[in-house]
Amino acid sequence: MTERLLRFTVNGEPREVRVADDRRLVDVLRDDLRLTGTKEGCSVGVCGVCGVLVDGALVSACLYPAVFADGASITTIEGIARGGTLAPLQEAFISEGGFQCGICTPGQIVAAAALLAERPRPTDAEIDEWMTGSLCRCTGYAGIRRAIRKAAGG
Amino acid sequence: MTDVLRTPERRVEGREKVTGTARYAADAAREGMLHAAFAGSPYPHARVLAVDTAAARAVPGVRAVLTGADVRPARFGRRLLDWPVLAWDRVRFIGDRVAAVAADTPEAAERAAALVDVTYEELPAVFDMDAALAPGAPLIHPDAADYRMLGVTRPPVPHPNAQGHQVHEHGDPAAGFAAAARVFEHELALPPVHHAYLEPRAALVWIDGATVHVVTTNKAPFSLRAQLAAVAGVAEDAIVVHTPHVGGDFGGKGLSLDEWPLYFLARVTGRPVRSVLRYADELQISNTRHGARIRLRTGVDRDGRITAHEARVRFDGGAYAAGKPIPFLMPGEAMATLAGYRVPAARVEATCAYTNHLPAGHDRAPGQPQNSFAAESHLDLIARELGVDPLELRERNAIRAGDVDVHGDEWHASEMPRVLAELRRASGWGRPLPPGHGRGVALGARHVGRGKTSLELTLDERGDVVVRSGVTDQGGGALTMIGRVVARELAIAPERVRVEQVDTARSPVDPGVGGSRVTMVHGNAALDGARKLAAARDAGAAPPIRVVGSADQTAHMFGSYAYAVEVELDRETGAFRVVDATLVADVGTVINPVAVRGQLEGGFAFGLGQALMEELAIVGGRVVTASFGEYKIPSIADVPPLRLVLLTDAPGPGPFGAKSVGELANPAVVGAVANAVADAGARVLTLPISAEKVLAALRGGAA
Repeated sequence: MTERLLRFTVNGEPREVRVADDRRLVDVLRDDLRLTGTKEGCSVGVCGVCGVLVDGALVSACLYPAVFADGASITTIEGIARGGTLAPLQEAFISEGGFQCGICTPGQIVAAAALLAERPRPTDAEIDEWMTGSLCRCTGYAGIRRAIRKAAGG
Repeated sequence: MTDVLRTPERRVEGREKVTGTARYAADAAREGMLHAAFAGSPYPHARVLAVDTAAARAVPGVRAVLTGADVRPARFGRRLLDWPVLAWDRVRFIGDRVAAVAADTPEAAERAAALVDVTYEELPAVFDMDAALAPGAPLIHPDAADYRMLGVTRPPVPHPNAQGHQVHEHGDPAAGFAAAARVFEHELALPPVHHAYLEPRAALVWIDGATVHVVTTNKAPFSLRAQLAAVAGVAEDAIVVHTPHVGGDFGGKGLSLDEWPLYFLARVTGRPVRSVLRYADELQISNTRHGARIRLRTGVDRDGRITAHEARVRFDGGAYAAGKPIPFLMPGEAMATLAGYRVPAARVEATCAYTNHLPAGHDRAPGQPQNSFAAESHLDLIARELGVDPLELRERNAIRAGDVDVHGDEWHASEMPRVLAELRRASGWGRPLPPGHGRGVALGARHVGRGKTSLELTLDERGDVVVRSGVTDQGGGALTMIGRVVARELAIAPERVRVEQVDTARSPVDPGVGGSRVTMVHGNAALDGARKLAAARDAGAAPPIRVVGSADQTAHMFGSYAYAVEVELDRETGAFRVVDATLVADVGTVINPVAVRGQLEGGFAFGLGQALMEELAIVGGRVVTASFGEYKIPSIADVPPLRLVLLTDAPGPGPFGAKSVGELANPAVVGAVANAVADAGARVLTLPISAEKVLAALRGGAA
């Protein structure tokens, strides 16, 4: 397996890592960069727990080869708050009961941030369609819907 | 100041959880840490003849390879220690572990585990519960007499392949059946399902001098400590268990799997060893909710009132009973076949069988969803046969104060009639439905939790309080609840109470979260501590004032609830969806309003998954739904909004009159959905209620 030096930014900070060609982005983030806010759930790209943004696009970091991110701008849950101030989405997840155990929450918030970037005022149907790839076992999703609606100013 | 409980809570761990700084077991790492992987049996039942580890040891980076011979006779379990840490003479399900590897990288460990060469001799396997309990069935645990049981003597069982067995009788069932105007009998069945928390189990074990440290996803750290002491043969106070946030539990995280081999690997390598279970293994080897087959027979008088009831309940316990914490080695509500009803006479018999399936354990209200699906379908079939409205039949049989329930216990108070009246109103019961729609009802009752614990509370010079508890956070909001109870009692703002969750070395013994216990037990201990602080403060004690708050909650009381569900069914395809749902729940005083709502909404979705899609499909002992691609759980698009009505004025035994909600409302969802689909034309007697089964039922076939 060949190795390569990758350069990208994570939450605005330039980073360099040397990785094997088959190394997954989730392992680079969690193990190499110790950004453990991104979680790993199903490992097959279904549950959405490992969701991160690569150049603004939502990807499952458990399936995404790290080499694909060379030169990209990556956003993880650690990059959603701005300078110690929670984003409105994060505040809404707290006040509306958008999480319980919290393991899917980084993926939910990153996915919801991508939704609001694309559609600042989503309908309920649009929320459901977009968030279908982010599973949650605790909340029954009602709190997540309320949180996204609230963050969207609804 | 205004009542703390009137303001919705803000989770104390909320900021961590929405910023990615909350720590879970898989996030723990230590210098020099090795990674573990395991080799499992490809056969459901086989003798282990030889294990060759030479090829595995030759993989670069491998530091240790252990087999059953190295750990013998170590077996683990929450109550009965029947599961070998690594099998040495016999494997009992596909995935049963025979070897453990520690290596520098996870990749090297996995490569080595795949190279462990085991010679097996296949044995006859048994997969069906009744076949396992038949005379002459292959014995799964011939050495059962040698197994240790923690804390108690194992109750007798009628067959060597029985994990547990219970019989209950009250009243005069024979007379009740003789007096009945009609007697009905039905059999229903459910497959095993998985908790499907999104955090796979993880653990990190290291040995520091004489102390064993464990970072774990186990939600009951003191219980894990006691079990590890038994398995490893070390003193409990030589073990420190650290449980960070648990990424979903639902009962499953009470059983540890990896901690045992990790302990032996850490001992032999002298290094920290970590394991993070792959989700495929979660679905193939961890403890499931029991599959069940339930036969119910009920006699009713001319008005549909129950005169007698008989039940035969079979649970598929799988290869080991290790996941069961209660002495009977049964799901806790194995006998609750008509929960929430007046049952003047009953005979209920339940047996949990060993089979060569993956082990079953505790899952959110253990035993209750199975019995609820059976009972609520059975009563609905009775209502339709009698020509009585299904809600009306339930109103006639709902338990009232002074009645006895299916266990023969008298209820001193009952909110059930009020729950049903409220459901009738809030759901618009009886309102005409569009063509293709059906409406179903199901009710349920769940005991409030029991148990005891202690917490340490310290009041400082500024009047602020620090609480230290061994309780774990699996998402229920325990830390926030404890803080609000203390704040309300001392009439201070919740922000002035800091609740610290601490490891087993720094906390009084704690029973762990589970059994709907936390608000009752930890909440009452917090209240007791707050009262002691207030008394000491008022008596002029100088801060810091340190007290221990304790609770021993033994009150036997129930929360009641009921669902009405409406479905829209496509008669061409059998596909249907839930379009409307109402839940009325008797919850007592609410301490965490956001969390109470979340538990009930989450419990609804949990039950909906079991009703609509969840099935851990096992073919010839092999789990064939081994990823979230095949094992489907509800997504946001599958869960309709839930109309929620809370009855809060009937106090429970918790602080300020609280009751439990964690396991209250998930069991009856399956019955309500089944009954709604039946109302739309298709009675399905097995879960999940798939479009295929609905279509078969619509065409008059078996379902």
